[in-house]
Amino acid sequence: MDNVNVLVVEDTPAESDALVKVLETNNYNVIAVARDFKNALQLFYAKSVDIIVLDIFLNGNPEGITFAEAINANPSVAKPFVFLTSSTDRKIFERAKLTQPFSYLMKPFNELEILYALEMAVEKFYNQPDVFLSENENTIISKDYLFIKKGKSLKKVLLNDIIFIEVEEKYCNIITENEKFVILISLTKISQLLDDNVFKKTHRNFIVNTQKIIEIIPGDNLIVLTGNHKATLSDTYKSILKTVRTLK
Amino acid sequence: MLLIIISHSCSLFSQEYINADLFDVEVEKKVNQYQSNYNFKKAGFYYIQNNWDSTLVYSMRYLNGNNKNIDLTNYSHYLRGCSFDKKEMLNEAQNEFQSITSGFEFNFLIKKKLAEIALKKSEFKKAISYLEPLIKLKEKDYKYFGKSAVFQNLGLCYLHLNDFKKAEPYLIEYVKFNEIEKDTLNLIDAYGSIANLYYNQYKDIMAIPYFEKAYRLSKSIKDFKAKQIATINMAVVEENRKNFEKALVYRKEYEQWKDSLNDQNKIYEVAKLEKEYAVKAKQKEVNFLKVENKAKLKERNGLLYSALTLLILLGVTLYFNKEKTKANNIISAQKEKLDALNVTKDKLFSIVSHDLRSSVNALKKSNTNLVNTVASKNLKEVNVLLKNNSTIVNGAYNLLDNLLNWALLQTKQSYFEITSIRLFFIVEQVVYNYKPLVQEKNIRLTNTVLKSDIVFADQESLKIILRNLLDNAIKFTNNNGTIKVYTKNSNSDYYDLVIEDSGIGMKDSTRIELLSDTELLSKKENEDIIGSGLGLQLCKSMIKKNNGIFSIESELGKGTKMIVSLPKKV
Repeated sequence: MDNVNVLVVEDTPAESDALVKVLETNNYNVIAVARDFKNALQLFYAKSVDIIVLDIFLNGNPEGITFAEAINANPSVAKPFVFLTSSTDRKIFERAKLTQPFSYLMKPFNELEILYALEMAVEKFYNQPDVFLSENENTIISKDYLFIKKGKSLKKVLLNDIIFIEVEEKYCNIITENEKFVILISLTKISQLLDDNVFKKTHRNFIVNTQKIIEIIPGDNLIVLTGNHKATLSDTYKSILKTVRTLK
Repeated sequence: MLLIIISHSCSLFSQEYINADLFDVEVEKKVNQYQSNYNFKKAGFYYIQNNWDSTLVYSMRYLNGNNKNIDLTNYSHYLRGCSFDKKEMLNEAQNEFQSITSGFEFNFLIKKKLAEIALKKSEFKKAISYLEPLIKLKEKDYKYFGKSAVFQNLGLCYLHLNDFKKAEPYLIEYVKFNEIEKDTLNLIDAYGSIANLYYNQYKDIMAIPYFEKAYRLSKSIKDFKAKQIATINMAVVEENRKNFEKALVYRKEYEQWKDSLNDQNKIYEVAKLEKEYAVKAKQKEVNFLKVENKAKLKERNGLLYSALTLLILLGVTLYFNKEKTKANNIISAQKEKLDALNVTKDKLFSIVSHDLRSSVNALKKSNTNLVNTVASKNLKEVNVLLKNNSTIVNGAYNLLDNLLNWALLQTKQSYFEITSIRLFFIVEQVVYNYKPLVQEKNIRLTNTVLKSDIVFADQESLKIILRNLLDNAIKFTNNNGTIKVYTKNSNSDYYDLVIEDSGIGMKDSTRIELLSDTELLSKKENEDIIGSGLGLQLCKSMIKKNNGIFSIESELGKGTKMIVSLPKKV
């Protein structure tokens, strides 16, 4: 599990310092603090950013909105962001609202509020609402990562690191090369959101990263995976053999 | 000689009116008898009307027509004769009378007419030839004209011919008739005639008594002409008798009568003129009245229209007046409301500024203390003072924040978006800020809102509401008290978010006052803890804007429940 990378765009050092402190306390990885629009764009493209905290007013102008518009223009690089503002001026808000998905936080804010706002931004951006706030789920699946709520903060897991997933009722055991942990997510959702070509169901309770398969032993209904992990292959899902390149 | 001519000038015409009327009756009879004959009918009709010209026209039409009837032809000729006579066309009249055949039943009338014409033409012998047969008529025929007139005229004719012997018996007969009939005017005439007869024969002794008789009779009548003739006759007589004094008296009397006559004529003329003038004046008046009537009618119509117009105008005016009054009422109501609001605002400003001033003043004092304490390096005391300062600043900040939000709400400048909100997390976030305060007062604060409780509201305003309610709850709860935040799901449309404290509570009157719609709580019952009321006012307004309901349950000394009901659906 990795910490989530946050880009802070805030022109007032006192405020950015407070913000960075809160984020780092809660295990977020603040990768950079940008002071203006240009700086922000540079850092955004230079670093691997998972989420942006964005002050609307940079040096007296609503450059924060301009930045949001700029990164939204290219959907392949777009990332979730949270607007920070000290005024609820309606006109500014109407404009900011056009940069969907829209998440904002009023200054001054406390720790809980900024954490909540970050979670909301991720939920909205990946269009999977009511995950972190509900008691039934705690994971959002993006193209590359799983974002998992752990305690007060968010963690991420690279999908490529996952060897297999074992479902137990409403829990899922995620097994990576180094870790094993439990997330809350429904099976239907996870099978919908994961890439079919990579993650295949081999059993009612197993989803396997096909890239991690080392050996399939059909006679024993067994799949051997990286790190000597073993998953079950049931008869219902034996069709997986056809899609896997096999030696004959 | 001159006397005679004057004296007999009245001659035949005195009885005209009798026989004319009688003859009219005969003509009418004829007309009725020959109804079908249009022209004769018309002629007869106009004859009776004394319209001579029309009579002549229609009788001529009759005579020129084919439908001949001897009787009607005679009548026609007679009517024409009469008409010509009246128009003084004597020859034509004579011709007409002479064309009447002998079978005509009023032959004697023709003779009379012819005699009259002859007399007028001074053809006395001819006149006598017409008159003489008239003496021996049947008694009934004399109703058309007086027998005495026949005698008179015969007498006069002979007199004119100077045949006194023949004249005398007729005139005496004439006098006798008039003495019997007691016709004074004719009697004077008769006396005058006979006197003239004798006088012309120089039989003065016989003449003078007649003259005197005539003169005496003339005294009792009003006919000026008769008086005149009688008087001048007397004057001439006296003159001839060389009795000039008397003659002069008579002359003067004569002049007087003459003048009287002239006067009378003048009076008649004047009267006539006056009459004409009066008629003209009357006509003028009538015309004037007509015009006036027209004008009046016009005026009346004008008045009617103007009255109508005025009425309509009045109606319109009344209508607009009513509208204006309505508008005025609305305006005055609005004005009252505005005034009340202004008063509230003023009050609010004074309270807020007072509070701020107190806060800053406290901070100032505290800072002075702090400086002194720092100088004495008493770090423990410094810490206490700083905490104190921070509390003061927090209070002031909250007040300012409310003030700002209130202003934004009033001017509708604030961003407002209703979204689905999980109540639990919002409560957690707001409660987080009060943790130090709660700990300080050792209050047990619990949030037992379910994570699954979702309401629809604007996030920021909901936070402001919760902040204020929590602030109040903490403020009014004593040390070691409890504050519980939870939801009641008793309604299908709303979640009731309850902030329950174990604080000092409030009286029911205060509760009602707090919930009342308009007024800010301005009473400061307790200097230390009761604020401006701006916070609650803001809560009420924002809850309303979020389509929510605000209610309070409280018991003095036991605690208060502030209940915010928020919709479950949009």
